[in-house]
Amino acid sequence: MRKNLQRFIAKNSSKTLFWLVLAISQLTYHVGNAQDRQIKGTVVSSDDKSGIPGVAIRVKGGKQGTNSDINGQFSLSAPSNGILEFSMVGYKNQEVKIGSQSDIKVVLEIDARQLQEVVVTALGIKKDVRRIGVAIQSVDGSATIKAREPNAINALSGRVAGLTVGSQPELLRKPNISLRGSSTVLYVVDGVPINSDTWNISPDDIETYSVLKGASASALYGFRGKNGAILITTKRGSSDKRGFSVEVNSSTQMQSGFYAIPKVQDEYGPGDHGSYAFGDGKGGGLNDGDYDGGWGPKFNGQLIPQYDSPVDPITGKRSGTPWIARGKDNLSRFLETGILSTNNVSVAATGEKYNLRFSTSHIYQKGIVPNTQLNMTNFNITADYKFTNKLKFESNLQYNRQYTPNIPDVNYGPNSIIYNIVYWAGADWNVDDMRNYWQKGKEGIQQIYAEYQRYNNPYFMSYEWLRSHYKTDIVGQAALRYTFNENLNLLARTQVTTWDMVRTEKFPYSAGTYGRDERRGDYREDRRSLFENNTELLLTFDKDVLPGLNTKITAGASQRVFQYKSIFASTNYLNVPGLYNFSNSSNPVQVANFGSDMNVLSAYYSADFSYKKYLTVFATGRMDKLSTLPAGKNTFFYPSFGAVSVISDYIDLPETISFLKFRGSYANVKDGLTSSTIDNRAGTYSGENYNSPYDGPSYQNNTVYSTGFYYNNQTGATYGDGLSNPNLNPSETSQTEFGMDLRLFKNRIAIDAAYFISNDGPSIFSLPISSTSGYTSALVNGIKTQKKGYEISVTGTPIKTADFSWDVIANYSTFEERLTEIYPGITSLNTFLKVGDRTDKLYGSAFVHAPDGQIINSGGVPIKISGAQSQYLGNINPDFVFGFNNKFSYKNLSLSVLFDGRVGGKIINYTQQQAYRGGRHIGTTEGIFAEARPQDALGVKAFVGQGVVVSNGVAIKYDANGNVTNFSELQFAPNTTKTFVQDYVGRYYNTNEGNLMSRSFGMLKEVVLGVKLPSSWFGKYVSTANLSLVGRNLLYFAEAKDTDLSQYLSDGATSPQTPSVRSYGVNLNFTF
Amino acid sequence: MIHTMKIKNIILGMLGFSLLALSSCEKTFDQLEKDSNRAVQVPASLVLQTVEYNVLNDNGRPFSAEMRWNQFYCSNYNYYANNEYTLGAMPNQYSTLKNVIKMEQEAKKAGLADVNGYSALGKFFRAYFFDQMSKRVGDLPMTEALQGIDNIAPKYDSQKAIYVQILKWLDDANSDLTTLIAKGETISGDFYFSGDLKKWQKVVNAYRFRVLISLSKKDTDSDLAVKTKFAEMAGNPTKYPILGSNGESLQFVWNNFNKYPSNPDNFGFDATRQNMASTYVGFLSSIQDPRVMMTCEPAGSDLKAGKLPSDFTAYRGAGSGDNLDDMSKNAGLSNGAGFAPGIYSFQNRSRYYQTYTGENTFIVGFPELCFNIAEGYARGWASGSAEDWYKKGIKASHAFYGIVEGANTMTYSKTGSKDAADLVKYTVNFNFDSYYANDAVKYDDATAIKKILSQKYAAFFMNSGMEAYFNWRRTGFPTFSSGVGNGNSNRIALRWIYPTTERTANSTNYTAAITSQYAGKDDINDQMWLIK
Repeated sequence: MRKNLQRFIAKNSSKTLFWLVLAISQLTYHVGNAQDRQIKGTVVSSDDKSGIPGVAIRVKGGKQGTNSDINGQFSLSAPSNGILEFSMVGYKNQEVKIGSQSDIKVVLEIDARQLQEVVVTALGIKKDVRRIGVAIQSVDGSATIKAREPNAINALSGRVAGLTVGSQPELLRKPNISLRGSSTVLYVVDGVPINSDTWNISPDDIETYSVLKGASASALYGFRGKNGAILITTKRGSSDKRGFSVEVNSSTQMQSGFYAIPKVQDEYGPGDHGSYAFGDGKGGGLNDGDYDGGWGPKFNGQLIPQYDSPVDPITGKRSGTPWIARGKDNLSRFLETGILSTNNVSVAATGEKYNLRFSTSHIYQKGIVPNTQLNMTNFNITADYKFTNKLKFESNLQYNRQYTPNIPDVNYGPNSIIYNIVYWAGADWNVDDMRNYWQKGKEGIQQIYAEYQRYNNPYFMSYEWLRSHYKTDIVGQAALRYTFNENLNLLARTQVTTWDMVRTEKFPYSAGTYGRDERRGDYREDRRSLFENNTELLLTFDKDVLPGLNTKITAGASQRVFQYKSIFASTNYLNVPGLYNFSNSSNPVQVANFGSDMNVLSAYYSADFSYKKYLTVFATGRMDKLSTLPAGKNTFFYPSFGAVSVISDYIDLPETISFLKFRGSYANVKDGLTSSTIDNRAGTYSGENYNSPYDGPSYQNNTVYSTGFYYNNQTGATYGDGLSNPNLNPSETSQTEFGMDLRLFKNRIAIDAAYFISNDGPSIFSLPISSTSGYTSALVNGIKTQKKGYEISVTGTPIKTADFSWDVIANYSTFEERLTEIYPGITSLNTFLKVGDRTDKLYGSAFVHAPDGQIINSGGVPIKISGAQSQYLGNINPDFVFGFNNKFSYKNLSLSVLFDGRVGGKIINYTQQQAYRGGRHIGTTEGIFAEARPQDALGVKAFVGQGVVVSNGVAIKYDANGNVTNFSELQFAPNTTKTFVQDYVGRYYNTNEGNLMSRSFGMLKEVVLGVKLPSSWFGKYVSTANLSLVGRNLLYFAEAKDTDLSQYLSDGATSPQTPSVRSYGVNLNFTF
Repeated sequence: MIHTMKIKNIILGMLGFSLLALSSCEKTFDQLEKDSNRAVQVPASLVLQTVEYNVLNDNGRPFSAEMRWNQFYCSNYNYYANNEYTLGAMPNQYSTLKNVIKMEQEAKKAGLADVNGYSALGKFFRAYFFDQMSKRVGDLPMTEALQGIDNIAPKYDSQKAIYVQILKWLDDANSDLTTLIAKGETISGDFYFSGDLKKWQKVVNAYRFRVLISLSKKDTDSDLAVKTKFAEMAGNPTKYPILGSNGESLQFVWNNFNKYPSNPDNFGFDATRQNMASTYVGFLSSIQDPRVMMTCEPAGSDLKAGKLPSDFTAYRGAGSGDNLDDMSKNAGLSNGAGFAPGIYSFQNRSRYYQTYTGENTFIVGFPELCFNIAEGYARGWASGSAEDWYKKGIKASHAFYGIVEGANTMTYSKTGSKDAADLVKYTVNFNFDSYYANDAVKYDDATAIKKILSQKYAAFFMNSGMEAYFNWRRTGFPTFSSGVGNGNSNRIALRWIYPTTERTANSTNYTAAITSQYAGKDDINDQMWLIK
């Protein structure tokens, strides 16, 4: 081994790796003590003749024993007349007489009926799949690093049944997650929870993802694991036979070609009811300020004063210039090709005494919005050392830095490009003319744009309105593992997860946004830091206590200490343009700070009892003392238990069934008064209010005064509207789950099915009380909901020949959540929901309909039910979610295709709503509006809306819910009143009902075409070389393609998005 | 044995290792539960600050939805607003009332006597906020309200009981203030009067006049004794001192932090989208009142047709009940370069868009007080000259706009822009006596109520919340415009609905309240006790 390393150093004196390798070579190589009759040997597998590590080798009837090393080699002392027993999960046991041999080669036969899967479970404990009675689905890390997503969790989309990922293409936005309908899941790296925004997880260092889907799988993590967990096991060491390996993974993707982008009309320019003339762009002309982009005059080349029309220097009069659609396709001309480039180098070495791995990766993403980017640098060091056979040290340190001088803000408002180009802008200006964005003589002070009241020049925004983000995450852990004997071991582990973040915003002079209409610039800083330490002791006992009865008990205790501090400061306009410093604030600087501390003490156990091959029963328990809850209520216990039995191990089943397992489990988890994310804003500023990961105290149960500025910048105080409760119990969730694992045709096809019932509640619930009490809510234990759902995942290899194989992974999941109990005396939740209702019912503004369903109009436009009386519009959640992954391999070629999507559910299309209201939506010139639209611009009412009017002059009466109560008195006739398209559209599309769409979609998520290059091409040091052509998000199927629906999970409405693009690229993967 | 020793050492080593790693946490669990970022106790002055702020907030700021419902102006731009009377849930002031109670508690915690400046103003604030809410919806929880967790589903009091209590609170506030003023007490955190309780006392009594007048339809009710109380107050100004000038009014003075709603920032948003309403403009131009030239612009189309800005017929508003599609088109019609667009008057460019401070906004104003007293006399509640107070009210309102005898310099925008270059001055001569000689202005017994109410309406322009509407609802003066633009089957709504949470969180009491008042419906078109 050492020789190998030295040779490696000599031949590959790559400077970047030198220090690391040097560190590795410092480790001494221990040689075992010689015995008088030493026997060596190798254990290989019957299928590929490779060495099998970890085979238990024992002298029959004797005490001597050992395990094979990473290469399948072993040595031990034994008597010549002895018999060696070889046993390994997944292989048939074998016995070999020693005789005179001193170098034994043993071939172990694969046991077709045996499964050799070992799955990572809570606390990082690895268990044989036959003993696992909870829902866990694993994803191989290597499956996600070719067709890259910048975010590790985005890559799980479609790969796990029950886990829905709403990928967020926006730079630094965290993916929305739904795991069995819950949006907050715990991220655990190598057995220890981390504080994560998912950006601090480096995809290249991931060996496997294990998704613990339910409470019973993650109960051991306590309240943070309430909704399940995603366990990440990082790569440790190398499985290469030489004992070391170097891997390089590089991928470059180009992002262009929109699969979801709003379509706009370019026939009519900005204005109102057909009139427009630029005066000063802020109200001084005709509809020239805060205009709608599509309700102005038709582009006919007529002469209209425009922002760049010449002004007579003497009269000051602006002459007219031809009114033409100069701005056709402004958006796509403005956006650039994005780049996603990721490079990773890792060096790993494994010896008898140590595992070492160093990995560094850099991810660079150039956004499609000009001058936006995101960088991430990761260092990951893993070092394990075996002091003796009994005492092992394990450690890992991960450094992650996210940094960018500028990311775009996509939130609705003048801060967003989409708002400024699509929703409200006209096609009258050419984006290319906006590149030199300073007005002559007013450089640094005044931008150029076609309008100066509400909107901003997109190039000016990209290059001057800058939002930086710098976040450093460090996650580290160190553990000592002591093995007393083969039955008992102790683990002491301490871990730190900490991050520091600074975000800044430079808001230039002459830029405008909501609430900052003086356009005098601003500077903001948002600083946050979080520190968390988890320290635990874990004792594991594993023994056949009675013949045939194996007991595996793990008991542990831990302390979690949490600390968070933040400060947010903003100028209140600037004195000197372009100087972004708080000392340059025109009015007093506004600052707010926040700090929180939390302490959690825990004790827990997990016990598995297996009786021969028949049955494993298991139980876990955890006691937490949590500082966020009131005294006397802050210590709580939660149990889980279950059973699992592999039927096929003891009942003769038909030959086709190679494995059949049934499992059932129950878990109860509790939590209280922590929140998963936190923002940091003082005052009201439009744009992104960044939510960082938190998992700290919410202080929701503290009724206190809030202070703010009321009159003339003086401080005022208001007392909280929520009543606190000193007798608050923790929230509770109980989950019952049944599952089946069926494998057919010699494990060729595996079907894993799970059915779960989750009874959530009583939760800590902010009970709405009559506001006439002086308070609007009281914190109580109430509300119960029940979620039921199932998940099916099918994996299989329908075809496998020597050269060709076809692998399939298909996932399907569905769930439904209903309200089962509210609170004594309360008959409905959130105004509308009754016991028995689905909790995802979508309510919103709607039209008044006649009994036959037709819309009732008045004055030519539909009548809207007033705002306080929202109507049921549909359900939010999809009927089901699916993922379908096919992989074909032929010799050195492979093709992997992932398709995923969701079916069912309703969503309000906000992009459609605003694009219509601005007159810019392509639909305003097509279909029912096509004929009347040209008349609008001429001042002629020509549109007749569908539906009826009340023809007998009787007033419509409503009940408190907005239902019409006097249909019997009303007579209807078809609507014949003409109105303008603009007025009709402004009314119709300003309702939720008018913008309702199906949220079903399907996506060709990923295609990877891989070629295994002959290693001979690269010389003897390259052991494998793979080249892949990759594509992501290639095809998209949905009702409307102005919005990428995959981003939304539980939202009732869509929101502005940067148009979604396809990615194409190349991935290179080398192992040395 | 060596083995056990080893194990012991290792365990100790591990424990040491783990303890080292723990960061020390000095706070106990009880301390950690508390939010150390925010206060549980504050000076009463900080709470007073927010209560005073809410006296204006939500009740109707200048150029707000409330001012459209008052029919002073219209929105012709449906993206931002329309002119429909889709009155939703009433502005809920119970949270503010809770803060009033907290303010009183904090004052006592700080060692003040039971009766102190905060508690006296507390009575006024109770009266003020209950009045604001009750006249919008009807019955409301009062005696059982504001008890926090001790009563999370309070019973409703009748509107009559609420008004009996409001009158009592105001009377008690007046006597408390008399005592406190005698002792020279003051309060801090008061941005209206800098703690001067003498000024507050005048406001309290002026407000009591407003409440009494608002009960005119119940002036025979013996529990309320409206007439007696009016006579008692009008006859005893020493016991009930009242406002003596515009300057003594309770008014909101705008500043660079609390910007007047029409200001340089939003000209481009609103300039042509907010046209004036005919209810307001039509009345003033018909009586040749120069206030219309102070607050409005002449219509662009009239100027184009050759009218002068000093011509009252050049001032016209749109009917608040007009169809919005017509109004949008008419407001935006191009009159060619050099003329403001449209056929309507817009708000005066020079008065409202030039500064962040605009004009002061009356909450309880002196002109209104004059008209209230005039109305009481006109109704015969006490003997006194209604005409004197009527004239005093008109003069006070004119004074507010700076209208003087003789030449008045007015400003209008020639082009509709707010640029200084486009603002043109012109002169209008004003003589009160000749103005007053107009039959449509001059007081006469036969049309006293109509005239007082019409002049009061003009004086309410962009101030006093929704008093203009409440007075119309009570008397029908001046005539409001109605039509398809009002929505609501072409009707002007008569009330707001209860907060939606009452339906779900206090349903038994809520149902009882709407059953006894409105035959079980919570409809915006039903008449409440106050106006029956």
